[in-house]
Amino acid sequence: MDRRDLLKLAGLLGGATALGGCGFAQTEAPAAAEESQAPPIEMKVDGDLVYFNWADYIDPDVKAGFAKEYGVKVIESNFDSMESMTAKLTAGNAYDVIFPSDKFAERLVKAGKLRAIDHAQLTNSEKVFGTYDYFQNPWYDQNSAHTIPNTMYKTGIGWRKDKLGAKLTGSWNDLWDTRANGKKFLLDDRDEVLGLAALRLGYDINTAKPDELDKMVALIKDLRPHLRGFSSDTTHNLSGGSSWLQQMWSGDIVAVIGQADKPELYGFESPTEGAPTGSDTYAIPVDAKHPGTAMLFIDYMLRPENAIKNIEYIGYPMPIKGTEQAYAKLVEPVPESVVTVDDLAKAINFHNGTAEETQARDAAYTEIKAA
Amino acid sequence: MLTREPEVRQDRPTKRRRTRLWSALTLPGTVWMSVFFLSALLLTVALSFGTTDDLGNPHFGSTLANWAQLGEPAYAKVIFRSFVYAGLASVICLLIAYPVAYVIALHGGRYKHALIAAIVVPFFANYLVRMYGWSTVLADDGPVLRAARALGAPPSLTILNTGFGVVAGLVYGFVVFMILPLYAAMERMDVSLIEAGRDLYGGPLRTFLFVTVPSTRQGALAGLVLVFLPATGDFVSAQLLGGPNQIMIGNLIQQKFFDGQNWPLGCALTVLLMALLVVGLSGYLRRSRRDEQEAVR
Repeated sequence: MDRRDLLKLAGLLGGATALGGCGFAQTEAPAAAEESQAPPIEMKVDGDLVYFNWADYIDPDVKAGFAKEYGVKVIESNFDSMESMTAKLTAGNAYDVIFPSDKFAERLVKAGKLRAIDHAQLTNSEKVFGTYDYFQNPWYDQNSAHTIPNTMYKTGIGWRKDKLGAKLTGSWNDLWDTRANGKKFLLDDRDEVLGLAALRLGYDINTAKPDELDKMVALIKDLRPHLRGFSSDTTHNLSGGSSWLQQMWSGDIVAVIGQADKPELYGFESPTEGAPTGSDTYAIPVDAKHPGTAMLFIDYMLRPENAIKNIEYIGYPMPIKGTEQAYAKLVEPVPESVVTVDDLAKAINFHNGTAEETQARDAAYTEIKAA
Repeated sequence: MLTREPEVRQDRPTKRRRTRLWSALTLPGTVWMSVFFLSALLLTVALSFGTTDDLGNPHFGSTLANWAQLGEPAYAKVIFRSFVYAGLASVICLLIAYPVAYVIALHGGRYKHALIAAIVVPFFANYLVRMYGWSTVLADDGPVLRAARALGAPPSLTILNTGFGVVAGLVYGFVVFMILPLYAAMERMDVSLIEAGRDLYGGPLRTFLFVTVPSTRQGALAGLVLVFLPATGDFVSAQLLGGPNQIMIGNLIQQKFFDGQNWPLGCALTVLLMALLVVGLSGYLRRSRRDEQEAVR
């Protein structure tokens, strides 16, 4: 046991530096320094894959196929929110491949937590970047230097056609439809709730200006008495009949329709004031023990045949050439839920603000939820 | 039992050596508690004075800003609601658990243990999963309301996203914490006391009120505390069975840690809630100490 270990142990016993493993307040090496030291990742099997994702976000058959083809184990753990994913990562847990949203990818890139990914090594990268120019230089990661795009999504309104009719007006205003009073939900998501208010009032969806936030809070408070709840469990709410009208993510309506006995009962619209869009990514953390295997995994996931299986499994499109038809067929019953790179290019995305901005937005959301 | 064992041995340990052995045995527990409980508690208190950087990482500090934010009326309102829900849930748990524990302890016979197991085993399943199950069962088009409507209930009747739903969820989630201490208290109770009550011309009701209830009061109080504490901080029931007007303090704390990316404020809320609960708990501790003293006398 060297001196450092001893110190660490003493610290742990005292509880004082139990933080060492706790992920906050430690001084990090600056991002750039860490990155330049790391040589480019070589795409080859260098151990089992430690995989960290939302539960149920990749077709289990596809995952199993990777393990079989490369003779490695896929050691899976799951997160339930982007925030807890970041917290676990910052706490020093080693994962080989993670799936941050664009917003969190930006944050992890800024914090120097992601390895650079050499696109040239991925045999399938051309299928992404050659066809979908948008991802050559997305807002969250310059030149996609640390991330490979995964899924794309947008936020809209889902409703029960048998209760409210085959068409709504196509505006966020539809959430104020009095026929659905007591039967409507908003997503339990700060950005999405504030975002819909901002879009209705014509503000920037990332606004943290006090006067704008006040007006947004007032607007949602006006809707609140008629809400059944704030819930991100949209699939369940809509198919269980508790919800007739709901702010929801595009892939979830595909899931509802895929499971429903009567798919014709459900509608989805992408409001004209604008629909927030986003995308998820693949990334390799700097602490990854087997980055080579992670590269192989990403490349494997980019194969159109695997991507198609996955698109059919989760209902969200992936920007990979050769998967377009399968996605189009899947969303045929709800063409309004289609997400394209053109949607993303409209740049209605949730960005990271400063700590003060985040806290101002959070206080507004607390007021909305708790008032 | 352990204390007697050394007496059989040849070399009787002196009293002092025995004490040392006992202190040694408490060491692992002490270390465990100080590392994982006390240090976590200290961190929570320390971080309540901390700040958050632009990347959402918490840092230690010495600001009172988080505490100042707790002055927002929304927090007082939600904390009050949490106490009301937890209080209601505790009382309902007591009303449900008392007869259950009574029947099992006094009339369970040889099925006693099987009956207790039947109550405890379902609680091995994850709480979240069970609550999620309820949200399906109680949904507007779910089996319960479909059946109720078939029996003539008005179509406007809903259970999900109401205060009733949340309190029912809390009761369901924590009732076992009430049954077990009550069962233990009734098992320990001397049944001849009840017979004595009857012999002294006490009717069933009077015997129950003046004999059974006082001798199981300790169990009931323990049960109330065991239900009230976790119910106050619960967020699952309100999240899955509640609506916008049923948000509890646990939901707000959770929101500060996740969506809000504001661990320091979450810590301040946690410490405030703990402080309020400790004040309440100290009343219970005083009470139970007095009960003990009475019992000794």
